[in-house]
Amino acid sequence: MKEIMFFDANCRIGRYFNGGPCAENVAALLTEMDYYGVDKALVRFHNLAMSGVNAANRAIAGFMAEDSGKRLTGVWCILPSQCDEIPEPEDFFRGMKSNRIGAITLLPFDHRYVPCRLTLGKMMDAAAERRIPVLLNGFAGKWPELYRFLEEFPRNVFIYQESGGKWGSDRNIRPLLENYENFYFETAGYWVPEGIRDLAEKYGAERILYGSGFPQYNQGNGMLQLKQSGLPTASVELIAGKNLERILKGAQL
Amino acid sequence: MSCSIWEKPGSLAEKFWKDGKADIPIYDMHGHMGEHYAIYFNRCEAPEMAAHLRRIGVRRLVFSHHHALWGNLRNAEVIEIARQFPDLFRVYVAINPHYPEFIREDLAQFDRWAPFAVGLKILAGYHLVKVTDKRYEYALAFADERGLPVLNHTWGNSVHCGGPVMLEVAQKYPNAKFLMGHSIFGDWEYSRRVVKETPGNTYLELTAIPGENGRIEQLVEAVGSDRILYGTDMPWFDEYQGVGGVLSAKITEDDMRNILYRNAQKILKETD
Repeated sequence: MKEIMFFDANCRIGRYFNGGPCAENVAALLTEMDYYGVDKALVRFHNLAMSGVNAANRAIAGFMAEDSGKRLTGVWCILPSQCDEIPEPEDFFRGMKSNRIGAITLLPFDHRYVPCRLTLGKMMDAAAERRIPVLLNGFAGKWPELYRFLEEFPRNVFIYQESGGKWGSDRNIRPLLENYENFYFETAGYWVPEGIRDLAEKYGAERILYGSGFPQYNQGNGMLQLKQSGLPTASVELIAGKNLERILKGAQL
Repeated sequence: MSCSIWEKPGSLAEKFWKDGKADIPIYDMHGHMGEHYAIYFNRCEAPEMAAHLRRIGVRRLVFSHHHALWGNLRNAEVIEIARQFPDLFRVYVAINPHYPEFIREDLAQFDRWAPFAVGLKILAGYHLVKVTDKRYEYALAFADERGLPVLNHTWGNSVHCGGPVMLEVAQKYPNAKFLMGHSIFGDWEYSRRVVKETPGNTYLELTAIPGENGRIEQLVEAVGSDRILYGTDMPWFDEYQGVGGVLSAKITEDDMRNILYRNAQKILKETD
C-alpha cells in the first residue's frame, strides 16, 4: 500500500491557450491523480496568465463545483486594488470560502503591474491577518523581485513554487527559508540529489511541501524522490501532504 | 481511489517504492563530478555520489568531471578518482577543443586507462565550437575507429549542438556511437531524425527529461525504447527523481528496462 497521503501543492487544471499537456476538467485531473496515487491537489487555472483574473477565478470556482469528492482545493488570483477589478478583501475572502478556494496567487509580470505595497498592500495585509497562503509561482526564477516582495510583506504565509527550474536554487532558497518563518518551499523541479532531505534537516520538514508542477511535469517522479529521500517516515508524511493540510486549515476565511 | 502505479504487485515501481531499489542494474550514462560555478551541490565528490548511487542500485555511472570540461583538471586525474570505485564509475574522456594538446595527449593514453575510460564527452554548446568543427576531428576519428560512445551535450536550436549539426556528425562517423545528451531538448523532430536518419549509431539520452509530462512516451513512440538511455547529470539531479520519471512514464516495463539498463549494457559490452 502507498499509505502516505499526498497533497499536490503545485497543480494546474484546464486547457492552455496554445496547447500542450493538460487536464481539461476535473474528471481528467482525478484520473491522473489516481494513476500516481495523489490524494488531493491545490489547483490553479492553467490558462491564468492569458485569460485574466476574473475569468480564471470563475473557471476555478466552476471546477470546484464539479469536484463532488472534494479532493481539490482552488486558488484564486489577485490584482492591484486601485482599479476595482476584484472585490474588496472581505468580499473576496467570503467568495473564496463559499467556492472552496484555499489560497491566492498573483502573476504581476504577466498581468503587468509592480508587485509592491502600493499596488497590493490592502489585499496582502488582509491575507496576512487571516493567514491565507500566497503562492509565488509568478516569481519563479525572478529572485531580485521576489526578495523585494518578501521584504515588503514579511508577515504573509508564502509558498514558493520552483516550477520550471531544474538548476538547483539553494543559494537563493536557503536565505529565504532562514529569514522568513512563514516561507514554505515546494518541491516541483527541485531535483538536487537528496536535496529535500538536506533542506528538511536544516530548516525543518514542516517548511517543505510536495508539489508536482503538473501538467508540465507528471505527478509521479517527485513522489518517489520524496519517498526515498532518506528522511524518516514522519517527515516524509509532513512534506507529502500534512503540511499543506495544516496551512490551509490555518487560513481564516 | 484506484490502485496507483506504486501499488501494482510485482512491478518495478512497487519495488522502488517499497524497497528503494529493484533487482535491476541501473546504468546512468550521463554523469559529472565536482563543484559547479552556478549551483550549490552537497554531493558532488566521488564518495558522496557513490553513496547516493548505491542506495538506488546504480551499477555504473559514466561521467565526465566538470573541471576536466572547464580545462583545469586533466583526464588522467579523473581516471585516478574512478579507480577508487572500480565497481561503479566509468569515465568519458573530456574533449575541450580549446586545448588541442590535451586531446592528443589524453587519447594517446586511452588504452592504458581501461577499463575506466569508455568513451568521449563533447560539450560543444558550452565550448561554443560547433561539433562539426575541425577541432573535434581527431577525437571523433579516434572514436569512430574504435566504435566508442561519444556523449554530446545537445540542445534544440543550438548552432553548436542542435539537430542539424548532430545529424551531420553522426552520419559522418558511422562507427562511433553518438549519445545525444538531453535528446536535443526542445527540438523533438530532430530527436527523431537523428535516430531514424543515421545507420544505427545514435541514441537519445534522457537527462533533464524524466518527469516532463508525456515526453518519454513521445520519444519511445518516435524512435523506440531500444534507442533511449537513462541519465541524470548526477550530481545535478537526484537518482530517485530520474528513475521515478522513467517509472512514471506511461510505457511498458520492457521499455523501462531497455532505458534503465539493457541498451547501456550493449553499448558498454556488459551483461547482468
